[in-house]
Amino acid sequence: MASLEIKRIAKTFGAQSVLPGISLEVPDKEFVVILGPSGCGKSTLLRIVAGLEIASAGSVSFGGAPVDHLSPGQRNVAMVFQNYALYPHLSVAANIGFGLRRATLSRKEKRAAVQEIARLLEIESLLDRRPSELSGGQRQRVAMGRAIIRKPAVFLFDEPLSNLDARLRLQMRAEIRALHRKLPTTTLYVTHDQVEAMTMADRVVVMREGRIEQIGTPDEIYCAPQSIFVAQFIGMPAMNIVSARLDRSNSALTIAGERFAMPEFWPDEKALDGEVTLGLRPEHLSLSRTGAGLRANVDQIEPMGSETLVYLYHHGTRLCARTPPETRLASGSEVKLGLNLNRAVLFDPVTQKALYRPNPYESTTGETQWK
Amino acid sequence: MQREQPGRAALPWLLPSFLLLALFYLYPVFEALRLAFTDARLFDATTTLSLGSITGLWGSAPLATVLRNTLAYTLGSVLGQLALGLCIALLVVRAERARLRGTLVLRTIVLAAWVIPAIANGIIWQLLFSEAPFGAINSALRLIGLAPVAWLSDPGNAMISAILATIWQGTAYSMILLYAALRSIDQSLYEAAAIDNATGFERFWFITLPHLRPALLVNAILIMIMTLNMFDTVLALTGGGPGRATEVLSLFAYNTVFRGFELGRGAALSLLLLVISLVLTVCLTLLLPKGRK
Repeated sequence: MASLEIKRIAKTFGAQSVLPGISLEVPDKEFVVILGPSGCGKSTLLRIVAGLEIASAGSVSFGGAPVDHLSPGQRNVAMVFQNYALYPHLSVAANIGFGLRRATLSRKEKRAAVQEIARLLEIESLLDRRPSELSGGQRQRVAMGRAIIRKPAVFLFDEPLSNLDARLRLQMRAEIRALHRKLPTTTLYVTHDQVEAMTMADRVVVMREGRIEQIGTPDEIYCAPQSIFVAQFIGMPAMNIVSARLDRSNSALTIAGERFAMPEFWPDEKALDGEVTLGLRPEHLSLSRTGAGLRANVDQIEPMGSETLVYLYHHGTRLCARTPPETRLASGSEVKLGLNLNRAVLFDPVTQKALYRPNPYESTTGETQWK
Repeated sequence: MQREQPGRAALPWLLPSFLLLALFYLYPVFEALRLAFTDARLFDATTTLSLGSITGLWGSAPLATVLRNTLAYTLGSVLGQLALGLCIALLVVRAERARLRGTLVLRTIVLAAWVIPAIANGIIWQLLFSEAPFGAINSALRLIGLAPVAWLSDPGNAMISAILATIWQGTAYSMILLYAALRSIDQSLYEAAAIDNATGFERFWFITLPHLRPALLVNAILIMIMTLNMFDTVLALTGGGPGRATEVLSLFAYNTVFRGFELGRGAALSLLLLVISLVLTVCLTLLLPKGRK
């Protein structure tokens, strides 16, 4: 058990800089998910923590002690790979017990340790098989067994669920979480799948082009993104982004000539005046045939079963609204869009950074938080 | 519409290749089989059916020596080519992973030995091993103050020299096969082993070697067949001498037919060679991993 500290880690491959200098602290026992599009450097960062890749600059510490000079085997980390990387010529039991080769345990104790892990992961009946005789989910479990048996200081996952089908992914997500509850260990989990990040993480680190865009709980990342990139990267469908104009003196927000009353708890800041970019999640748009709101034309509807997504065009901007499942609208029909501005995020149109973010933990009219 | 079963209609299309193969592969085999049961001689038109050629092999003193030579030569060459080929392949793969320059040059140099005809290889090594003043190896030994070695004239050394020359040429082949097998090993296995704190030997033992097993066995079979049939290198290098010290089975068969003119006996010897190759191949094939699902 140990905290993990990444200090100004940089990595270049030849002339190409993959990580310009990243810092991140993970307290003991926290489950942190690094999320980002492919090529953002998240796997490289993980491999540097593992010791499989050597950083060009910066330092990694476990529990306050730098580990940069240690080989991967000396760092006391365990890693689960995307393709599981099980030793194909060893049995499941030998795979799980591989990390105990040099442990000062008797043969009997080692066998007992393997048995215990197998019981925990419910793969006791598979111990004599070879990896090639297992299904994807079973291999995944063996890979985790091999990792946890060594009681590592830090647990590393490199897109471990990417090779599984959707149903199994759902199940393994829950199992990894449950395992972390049973054996709380500092965990760094890399994925490009936002659902994994949202459902598993204590905290999510969103990365883009080698830099950290935002660190926060899943709620913060979803409800209060720090930049337009995060707003659009997280959430399916993504956050709606609309150009708007704030008029402080009249407490009004104008979108394409349509005036809305500004929520009174929006802070009285100089930055919050003039042109802004408004971000609203699809669930904060409501549709009506008449009444107040933005005029928009239905482009397409996607019935999802539990809800219906309605895609619309408003002055050339494509928007999406999350509506009750029974919503049925003809393509091209005109509707009015109501906006729940209480949940809106305001961005600077130039820097793309958030000017105002609602507090994800407060009710819609409650206090707000400044960042 | 049901697809027509490819039955008799396919035969005419297969016939040309069948005839070609039969003419050049099956006919000589059957001809050797037929000749083995005769007392045919190369320059003698009258042949009679006889078991003499085959029974004559039994208890033949030269044949015992020749078989011993063949065993030593084949075993030494196969093991040497596998070991050296594996070492070079490991070196090349390791250098490539470390992104060192010059690995292509190294591979090409090793391959260069392979494209040399075996007979030329024999002659090259004869020059190198030569005990005359121009012999390259002995000259080098003299330069560093060591006594010259009777590479080809000493019966014990001659076999070692023949094996060395064969290894030198055949290593490229085994290197290429093993190199391809090494390249196909999933790199993340080594990373997992690194995280599991495995030593270099453990990585080789638990990952590399099990992965290479099929390639090593196939390689062994192919090299073994090639070595058993190899007589041109030995012919050019030692001619089977001194005495019979390096006379291997294929060379013995060649000598029996083309020097002793005993066609029937030579055919019997080549059949023996065929049987030995087949038996060894079957034995090694049994060691190949069975297809797992």
